[in-house]
Amino acid sequence: MVVSKEKCKGLDDREIIRKSLEELDYFSCLYQRYEAQLLRYIRRITRVPEAEAEDILQDAFISIWKNLHGFDPGLKLSSWIYRIVHNQAVSHWRKQTAYGKKPDLEWDEQRYAGIPDPPPPAETAVDEETLFSLLDRLPLNYKEVLVLKFLEHMSYAEISDVLKIPEGTVAARINRAKKALSGMAAGLSVFAES
Amino acid sequence: MDPSEKLISAIREKDIRPTPEWRFRLKEILFTGSFLAAAALGALAFSIILFAIQQTDFNVLGHLSHSRLELFLGLLPLLWIACLILALTAANYGIRHSKKGYKFTLARRAGYSAALSLLLGTAFFITGGAQWLEHAFAVRVSLYDSIQDKKIRLWSMPEEGQLAGEILQIDPDRFDLRDFNGKSWTVQYDSAWVAPVVLLEKGEKIKLVGVMTGRSQFQAGEIRPWEGPGGRRMRGDR
Repeated sequence: MVVSKEKCKGLDDREIIRKSLEELDYFSCLYQRYEAQLLRYIRRITRVPEAEAEDILQDAFISIWKNLHGFDPGLKLSSWIYRIVHNQAVSHWRKQTAYGKKPDLEWDEQRYAGIPDPPPPAETAVDEETLFSLLDRLPLNYKEVLVLKFLEHMSYAEISDVLKIPEGTVAARINRAKKALSGMAAGLSVFAES
Repeated sequence: MDPSEKLISAIREKDIRPTPEWRFRLKEILFTGSFLAAAALGALAFSIILFAIQQTDFNVLGHLSHSRLELFLGLLPLLWIACLILALTAANYGIRHSKKGYKFTLARRAGYSAALSLLLGTAFFITGGAQWLEHAFAVRVSLYDSIQDKKIRLWSMPEEGQLAGEILQIDPDRFDLRDFNGKSWTVQYDSAWVAPVVLLEKGEKIKLVGVMTGRSQFQAGEIRPWEGPGGRRMRGDR
């Protein structure tokens, strides 16, 4: 039996955790609170259909439940939840690519200078679909920082907590990823103009 | 079914329970403990490396017939250097896997581990612990080639002009010396340079650079303390 949304609204994250440990039903509050944004994040990272993203999220929340006592109160709960969901999503994505369902393209720094595939639309502004097709061509470590920074609007400290890397590394990686992405976008523009 | 309801049902059906808190605490203690243990091992290794450097006495190496580098490499405590590298790697691993370890770059993690090992190691060396530990190893581990053994070998080559031992009896221009292999020598020292820290008296352990002039005669050119620079102070002899 899940707890009603009205009842969940009156509880903050830590209260939900405390109450979940006393009564499992309260754990549904956590799921309801983060479901939408996490589903969106999983789809941004893995590009899987909605139903598959829901399965990943279910598995991730089971992992969150198992590790509930391991939550570090020094962290933002959202960062900790994103970390577990991220690991679950990446693990799923890796399995997919390993089984050849969605072969991962080997990253080549010079690659974006070549002709992109599929051909871009004529507009100069990059639409969402094109942006994601460009993001998909980036190595995962570039893609994940860009998604977390510019689509999930996280700070460097939060990204550091999600990916478990130093903040300096986050900054450097974002910088390199932006360069790679703008290089690819420039390649698109050249292609569109020619 | 609502996804949150599906989740709660799945947890109930499979009877999934949160991992007990003590396991997370134990994991944290193990990683912190492994970091501290590795840093302590690194400190011991570093203190013995310092001891080896102290025993090397670089001033003298230049005067010897072998190349300075060759002699230095011969005296290097390679076992302890390997130990220090291993300990620093383990300490780095311990920090990396602690709760907040990911916040530090590799350089900072290595820096913290090295700083702690160097600090503790220097303190251990200054208090004479390194010499004691090295000696304990030499006594208890038969295969261990101690720094003292290496040093004795280096200074037991009278034909090459290197001799060391303990003064048995002293006269104004010569003294009797028993080397570390138990052989007695008569040493002429009237024209020798004597390091200020050396006390030419019975029982003093010294090392000599000079020339072998007979089967048990040696002409000293330089006389230095056996312990190397600062050796006496470390032991608190003076």
